Amino acid sequence: MTDAMLPLLVVVPLLAAAVGVALPARVTGVLSVVVPLATALGGLGLLVATSDGKVLVQQVGGVVPGIAIPMVADTLTGLLVLVTSLTTAVVLAFTVLNRESRLRFFPSLALMLLAGVNGALLTGDLFNLFVFIEVMLLPSYALIAMTGTWRRLGIGRLFVVVNLLTSTILLVGVGLVYGVAGSVNMSVLNGADHDDPRYRVAVGLVMLALGVKAAVVPLHGWLPRAYPATSASVMALFSALHTKVAIYALYRVHQVVLGGDLFSGATSGWTWLGIAVVCTTMVVGGYGSLGEKMIRRNLSWQMVAGVGYILLGLAIGTRLGLAAGLFYMVHHILVMGALLLGSAAIEHVYKSHDFTRLSGLMRREPVLAVVMALAMLSLVGFPPSSGFFAKVGIVRAAAGLDDPARVVVMVVIVVASLGSLVAMLRLWRDVFWGPPMEDLPSAGHGEPCPTDFAVGTRAPRRLVVPAAVLLVASLALFVVPGEVWEVTGRAADGLLDVSAYTRAVLG
Amino acid sequence: MTFLPITVAVLVAGGVYLLLQPGMVRIIFGITLLSHAANVVLLAAGVSAWRAEPLDTHAGDEVADPLPMAFVLTAIVITLAVTVLMLAMARLGGDDDTYRIPDSGEERHA
Repeated sequence: MTDAMLPLLVVVPLLAAAVGVALPARVTGVLSVVVPLATALGGLGLLVATSDGKVLVQQVGGVVPGIAIPMVADTLTGLLVLVTSLTTAVVLAFTVLNRESRLRFFPSLALMLLAGVNGALLTGDLFNLFVFIEVMLLPSYALIAMTGTWRRLGIGRLFVVVNLLTSTILLVGVGLVYGVAGSVNMSVLNGADHDDPRYRVAVGLVMLALGVKAAVVPLHGWLPRAYPATSASVMALFSALHTKVAIYALYRVHQVVLGGDLFSGATSGWTWLGIAVVCTTMVVGGYGSLGEKMIRRNLSWQMVAGVGYILLGLAIGTRLGLAAGLFYMVHHILVMGALLLGSAAIEHVYKSHDFTRLSGLMRREPVLAVVMALAMLSLVGFPPSSGFFAKVGIVRAAAGLDDPARVVVMVVIVVASLGSLVAMLRLWRDVFWGPPMEDLPSAGHGEPCPTDFAVGTRAPRRLVVPAAVLLVASLALFVVPGEVWEVTGRAADGLLDVSAYTRAVLG
Repeated sequence: MTFLPITVAVLVAGGVYLLLQPGMVRIIFGITLLSHAANVVLLAAGVSAWRAEPLDTHAGDEVADPLPMAFVLTAIVITLAVTVLMLAMARLGGDDDTYRIPDSGEERHA
């Protein structure tokens, strides 16, 4: 990858989306897998090009640095482009396999979503971040309204209203930043007067809006309601992209725009406020699943918990903290994708993800059961999976806090993980254990009940493969964690010392 | 100079009030008011000291700041697109309200 190739990561998916509208559904389906794979390759190229600490910059339009709208890529950008694009490719491959991609415009909308994500990851400008988040959200509104149960229409309203309201807050925040500092270029803002209270309020508004989009407790309520109503594969797509882009933006805005002042590893009041918020997120998310009786509703709370773990790294703010948070993000994207695609395979065959209508899948679907079991272990943090090292990293980062109260943080991590463990055990017991489905009572209401399925009904192997691919990636992270730690460590270095970033942008 | 803040305050107050009402259409109007408030904030960020239009042969320090105008233009386009989508959603999927207060005097299919 070179500087001039950065805009391609946005342009190619966007063009493919446009071309895909005119092409036959079969071709567009293939396109929707090939293009994310290509951008994943681009992400890999970014990782290689930035491996020596170099920062790639493209001043789009060739205007003077500082005025131009830059696209910037450092190790963090490269890592996230790689992981999100790979997961997108696997999820979209699944939609081709279960024919969801035959829905009108589905692949094109997914590619637009990818373009928005890549843009948000690459941009070095606050207002452009807002624009790319909108580019990411607009196709999502359509995706959430076109797939899933009938509940999706009501839920679509919720999703649109929450996101538009949050975007408006984000926009006001960006406007105030411009009013105070006279620029929205993140690198210019890095040199602004960070002690000006007006500047802090303005950036705080931006971070508040990003916090809603990342589903940080107490601003998480929309996620467990909205996501399960759409289809499993769209939920997998959203889980890999939406909240993760918001988390990335929180990392970037805090470290570059705010100069990393708030959570800088030193135990100030801000650090503890941040830690308290993310610890609440972990616990609420971890235990929120206990009230749910559907696979994906159960998982949606675990997504909230994951946000807590990832942001704990930012709240701790040391090099180890940031690196551990980013490692957890990579792990969480892969494992959530695997779990949701496993649920998607179950739903495709058994037309339900309700605990009461599924039972005894362990004997019926042994391969799928193994995949799901390993993914659940990974989510909770057991070896042999990426979750183990992710959790160890987070706990070690918490142990590095310079305050006796760090013990509390470590205990909270373990307690929250216990909640996840119980939630996963419940999922396992209700769906995979229990009597064979044929023995279940009829659900009535004219809905397909378990006894309707022919005795030989099984999930086709091809539908299990995408979940297995993501799981293998998670297991691979257990086998070779060192390489990934090295990359996230390098990304953390880039976040702690932003001088290379700003120098590259400002020329 | 107090004119713009008061405008924003009124718009936000109305927007929040409407946003908290049941019924998608009222929520949409609330969102519209809020996004107008955001646009005024953006404009206020750049043109609080109103200067000349960036057309003629004015010197750099005399012309108005074009950046907030570009911001607002982008924001208006995005909000408009989403508002249209939300209006479609208000019409789709049957009832507007999740629940109905008995004596609201509303027509069922307004």
